[in-house]
Amino acid sequence: MHSAVNIMVPLLPALYAVLVVLYGLSFFGNFPSIDRMKSPALIGTVALHLLYLVFRTTAFDHPPITTVFEIMSLLALSIAIGYTYIELRTRATNTGFFILLIALAFQTVSSLFIKDLTDIPEYLHSLVLGFHVSAALLGYTAISLSAAYGFLYLMLYHEIKSSRFGRIYNRLPNLEMLETMSHKAEVFGFLTLSVAIVIGLLWLPRVFSEFSYWDPKLVGSLAIWILYAVGLAAKHRLGWQGRKTMIISLVAFGFVFLSMTVINLYMSGFHSFY
Amino acid sequence: MDLHAIGISHHTASLDVRERMWLSNEEIRGVLERVKGNLFHEAVLVSTCNRTELYGLGPVADETALKRLLIEFKGAGDAVRPEHFIGAASGSAVHHLFRVAAGIESMVIGDIQILNQVKEAFGIAREAGTMGPVLNRLMQATLHVGKRVRTETSICEGAVSVSYAAVELASKIFADLSKKSVLLIGAGETGELTLKHLLGKGIGHVKIANRTKEKAEALAGTFGGTVVEYDQMVEGLRTVDIVITSVNAPAYIVQPDDVHRVMKQRSNNPLFIIDIGVPRNVSPASRKIENVFLYDMDALSAIVDWNLDRRTAEIPRVTRIIREELVDFLRWHNALEVGPTIQEFREALEDIRRQEVEKNLNRFRPEDRELVELVTRRIVNKILHQPTTVLKQGAEGGGHNSETIHRVQALRELFGFSRNGKAPRGE
Repeated sequence: MHSAVNIMVPLLPALYAVLVVLYGLSFFGNFPSIDRMKSPALIGTVALHLLYLVFRTTAFDHPPITTVFEIMSLLALSIAIGYTYIELRTRATNTGFFILLIALAFQTVSSLFIKDLTDIPEYLHSLVLGFHVSAALLGYTAISLSAAYGFLYLMLYHEIKSSRFGRIYNRLPNLEMLETMSHKAEVFGFLTLSVAIVIGLLWLPRVFSEFSYWDPKLVGSLAIWILYAVGLAAKHRLGWQGRKTMIISLVAFGFVFLSMTVINLYMSGFHSFY
Repeated sequence: MDLHAIGISHHTASLDVRERMWLSNEEIRGVLERVKGNLFHEAVLVSTCNRTELYGLGPVADETALKRLLIEFKGAGDAVRPEHFIGAASGSAVHHLFRVAAGIESMVIGDIQILNQVKEAFGIAREAGTMGPVLNRLMQATLHVGKRVRTETSICEGAVSVSYAAVELASKIFADLSKKSVLLIGAGETGELTLKHLLGKGIGHVKIANRTKEKAEALAGTFGGTVVEYDQMVEGLRTVDIVITSVNAPAYIVQPDDVHRVMKQRSNNPLFIIDIGVPRNVSPASRKIENVFLYDMDALSAIVDWNLDRRTAEIPRVTRIIREELVDFLRWHNALEVGPTIQEFREALEDIRRQEVEKNLNRFRPEDRELVELVTRRIVNKILHQPTTVLKQGAEGGGHNSETIHRVQALRELFGFSRNGKAPRGE
């Protein structure tokens, strides 16, 4: 089991890289054979990734939610599954390149730094933690997708506004659809993140003696939550549409990425498993 | 191959010449009736607004006479001369038809209508009884070229008219046009055409504003829309998603301030403005306002040019497909030649004879063996005699008629001589 896990650690980023290349070629080039190949490749990679996390759980006797790098792998899988669902359900099959790029980034960081931990603190076996992490994971997946669609919206908006038409214009669905997808994902992400934060705030002080409301990760998460809250409020209260809300969504996602990487690597706090 | 083609098109003649040669379906039947039997044993005639082309199978000694026949049929001798026509024979006639069907001979490269027109022409020929085995196969191959070109290349993609470019843009901005509404301000051919295309795409609601209210009412009647007072048209921008302006006015009728105000009122919902007026009706400064997509004639023409460039860039891929299909067709046709078929028939029977003789030769006494050879050879020759004679008679005089081709085809199928030509598609 350990050896299978060891093989899959470097294999998964490679598979995601292949997927990104396939989807990139399909987006930027004109290769009917690749168009047919990419969906099966995506499903295969997702299946292997799922298997990897199952193996990991069995081999190290804990679900892969105890370190930031385990969480990142889970997040990459969650994004890939989210995109698979979108590809199978909607006509937006040409957006895979941009979304799988995010999954590739998370999985690469995860594979580079992940460690084979078997001794984990007792509190990490808690069911409440399971809810907290699942909610946070769903939330981050949704806002990643929201950011990807927001980014695509801005690119298409720019092309249409400036009358410069290229691949983006030809291959992407329409602005309204991108905006709707980004917005729906954002609302879903915001709600699930809210749940994660509430569970966290109720549960963390009871488990950790050194709990502090000024922990960098808590502050970071709350800042992100407030940014999304402001963005959504601006849309619903002030009637903001299109470009501005997409920019807020992208900025907020930038903070998410920063909080996951910089805060984790360079600042210490009690919340060290994420 | 005895295929001949003569044709007049936008490459060879101006519109006033071409239009004299346009044939209605009834006239096409008339021409086919006239050439059937005496000139061609198989024939098809394609006539569109940009081309009139006659393809026929048979011995043609004088192509000019054929051109004259068409001109005389239309009674257009005063305007049309044989020099307005091009002529092609054999493989190059097939090549030309494939190029036409692929849309690279069209006035607008990649025009997909032509394939339907070619299909229709073959339908008329079938009714007129001028279709035969060669043209049947040619039709399948031609439609196959058209289908491959459409699916394997992007030569038909991208709007190539200003009005259609505007509609294509609309469907890149909005998800579901049936939930959107459009306001047409003023009247004009391009404006109405754009509106028609939008209706074709299922636009939800149409509003019309015009300085002459009667005209607005008439248009609203035609397109099933409602009328907006002309002096209220800026207010009208508040409730629609797409605006087409096509007004003859010396100055801008919509100012950036108007658009600013309206955008606030419509909570910044995207507004797509198609300004077809020359001089322009909407101040170009409005383009800078967020969620306003303003396109004038120049911007739309730029899209059309860009699309045409992209289509032109696809031509090499189209010609590759044409080449492949041409090779395929010619291979099939060559297999229909009488001589090689007789030869194959002879070899096949001889093979059977030899194998059976070799297998059973030991059963005969040595002195009888020569006799066995002789007798079996005679049997084979007798079997071959009648079919060979009939086929050779049919092929006399160079070209072969439908009946001969049918016989060759039947023979090849019955004895499985298909190695030189694939079986026709769909059969």
